Amino acid sequence: MNPSEKEINPKLRIQTWFAFLVFIMSIFVVRLFYVQIIKHDYYQKAALSDQLKQYELPAERGTIVAHSSGVLVPLVLNESLFTVYADPKFIVDVAQTSTKVSDILGGKPEDLRKLMEKDTRYSILAKKVSKEQKQKLEGLKLKGIGFRETVQRTYPQGQLASQLLGFVNDEGIGKYGIEQALNETLTGKPGKLKAITDAQGVPLASNQDNILVSPKNGSQLALTIDLGMQQQLEDILKQGLEAASSKSGGAVIIDPYSGAIKAMANYPTYNPSDFSKVTDLSVFSNAIVSSPMEIGSTMKPLTLAAALDQGVVNKDTTYFDPSVWVIGDSKVVNVEEDGGAATRSMKDILQLSLNTGATWLVMQMGGGEINEKARIAWHNYLVDHYQYGKETGIEQGYEAAGSVPSPTDGYGLNIKYANTGFGQGITATPLQLGLAISSVINGGVYYRPYLIEKYTEPNGLNKDTKPVVVRNNVVKKEVSDTIREYMIETYTKNFRAYNSQSSNVPRPEFNIGGKTGTAQEANPDGGYYTNIFNGTYVGFVGGDRPQYVISIRVNDPKIPGYAGAKAAAPIFLKLTNMLIDSYGVTPKMH
Amino acid sequence: MTYSSTVSMNRKRFARRNQNTTNFSSTSNVLGPVSNTISLIILACLLGLLYLTQVTKTNAFSYKINTLQKQQTELKSQNSDLEVASARLQSLDRVKNSEVAKNLVSVAPVSTIQN
Repeated sequence: MNPSEKEINPKLRIQTWFAFLVFIMSIFVVRLFYVQIIKHDYYQKAALSDQLKQYELPAERGTIVAHSSGVLVPLVLNESLFTVYADPKFIVDVAQTSTKVSDILGGKPEDLRKLMEKDTRYSILAKKVSKEQKQKLEGLKLKGIGFRETVQRTYPQGQLASQLLGFVNDEGIGKYGIEQALNETLTGKPGKLKAITDAQGVPLASNQDNILVSPKNGSQLALTIDLGMQQQLEDILKQGLEAASSKSGGAVIIDPYSGAIKAMANYPTYNPSDFSKVTDLSVFSNAIVSSPMEIGSTMKPLTLAAALDQGVVNKDTTYFDPSVWVIGDSKVVNVEEDGGAATRSMKDILQLSLNTGATWLVMQMGGGEINEKARIAWHNYLVDHYQYGKETGIEQGYEAAGSVPSPTDGYGLNIKYANTGFGQGITATPLQLGLAISSVINGGVYYRPYLIEKYTEPNGLNKDTKPVVVRNNVVKKEVSDTIREYMIETYTKNFRAYNSQSSNVPRPEFNIGGKTGTAQEANPDGGYYTNIFNGTYVGFVGGDRPQYVISIRVNDPKIPGYAGAKAAAPIFLKLTNMLIDSYGVTPKMH
Repeated sequence: MTYSSTVSMNRKRFARRNQNTTNFSSTSNVLGPVSNTISLIILACLLGLLYLTQVTKTNAFSYKINTLQKQQTELKSQNSDLEVASARLQSLDRVKNSEVAKNLVSVAPVSTIQN
């Protein structure tokens, strides 16, 4: 043994090593103290910035379904589509790449080439690319070509009911129609994921502070619309407008005993999948609810109903009609050929469509002349009974309220109110017209219109829409019966005239009633255009009680004759036949 | 060196010659401070190891969860695609323009038989 080793005290050696160890440990402790305590916030932030990821979990937009032969079928769905983009920095051969991409996506290679040569790192080559096209492009393994998934609305029924549905813009916001009116219900609420992740972004389950808030998807909407009826309405409307040489129009079919909309259409229309290609923005509007018009003589059943309901006239009342009324500086005359001076009955006012008769009815509300009393009484019926001048509350974007002149403020109020008796100087949408007539012929109940029959939440809970009564006693029941009877007689008497250009068969086993309207188009600069008329028709079809109410509008038809009788009424005839033949209208038993 | 032997040696230092003394020697094995420290460190290491094992094991499930979620998303996407395809195939426009529909004969409205 080496003597020098002998001299080393083992205890000292241990103590030395122990001291050394303590020293080393102290360095660690000091360093750890510095890192973990003093620089805690700094390092925590640095670590979390790499590891903590926050994601917004998008909520799925609610789908829309509608009835078809007794089952609910999809009308609006969501579909994953792709945006194809180029990062020009990584494209090796622009000419070859553009050719290959255009082979799959279509379009000219030159156009794609220009996009690929842009001085940017993100150049969009195509949007709404299908999964199949994306897979084909992926298969080519082209450098510098990338994909971004986007969820888009898709419309399996094409452009059917497009204005009623609306569309969803690139920001995911509903525009027009149901998409706009119920945007919040359809959108749902996005969820949130906050989690510690690995380098690849996979959330690590061990972290107790991970937060997951699941998204709340939008509700599914089931419409009151019947797709078959909607399709036929659109076809018949289009044919009718073409036959009348009219460029635009619309129609709505209503259940008068609930306010449920069974079909609603406008022409021209558009494909909501390609909304960005539309140049005339007016086609986005559902004119049935958003475009008020002067409804013309279709107002007359309402004027008569108001007079009967007030008791100022009765069913058997007759009066001498001078065929012209002078009110202030203006004259009210008839436009119909058979509207000369004569003793007239209440029924004649509808059957002959007498403007002077409607004016006389308003006069009776004031005790024989149009005065403040008459104006206030008639205004009360227009606004409080028929709900004109108010939005109906239907689930549609951009609904218009229409306008009713004040009975006490303004100039020329008497002539203004004389005009309202036959539907001029007052504006209403075809929907408002249809609802007002529904309330008058159904016994006197005004229902709020609705398009959504059922809301289904993501958890499966259903919320059914129940009919909402806006007003009872719109008119008395006996008045309702009278107006219904008079409208049936008006329709029957004029059937041949309505049918002169077509070959619809009469359907005597059903109760069909209606009234035409022809109104001059108001000039925004004041007065009326002398050569532009709009045709309207409002009517019903049913057995012992009306099953469907139809309101039609034809804008500026270019055929001879009155727009209401020659352009709108033929569409009504076809629609009633369609409803009788395909939608179980019950024949009358009494 | 244990705590008990240290005490014994110290006692011997104060004993005088021919003096009867009692030799205290503890029969129980009591761990000293270093042993305790080492034991605690080992225990802490074992606990740490156990913790790390469990964390790793839990994190391994993250990948399984992630894979399953991807599968779920893919299946949902396929389901959605099929739903869209099915709806398109059954669309009124497609049915109307089908060969079967083209060969159908339209009928004129007939009057309803009344009692």
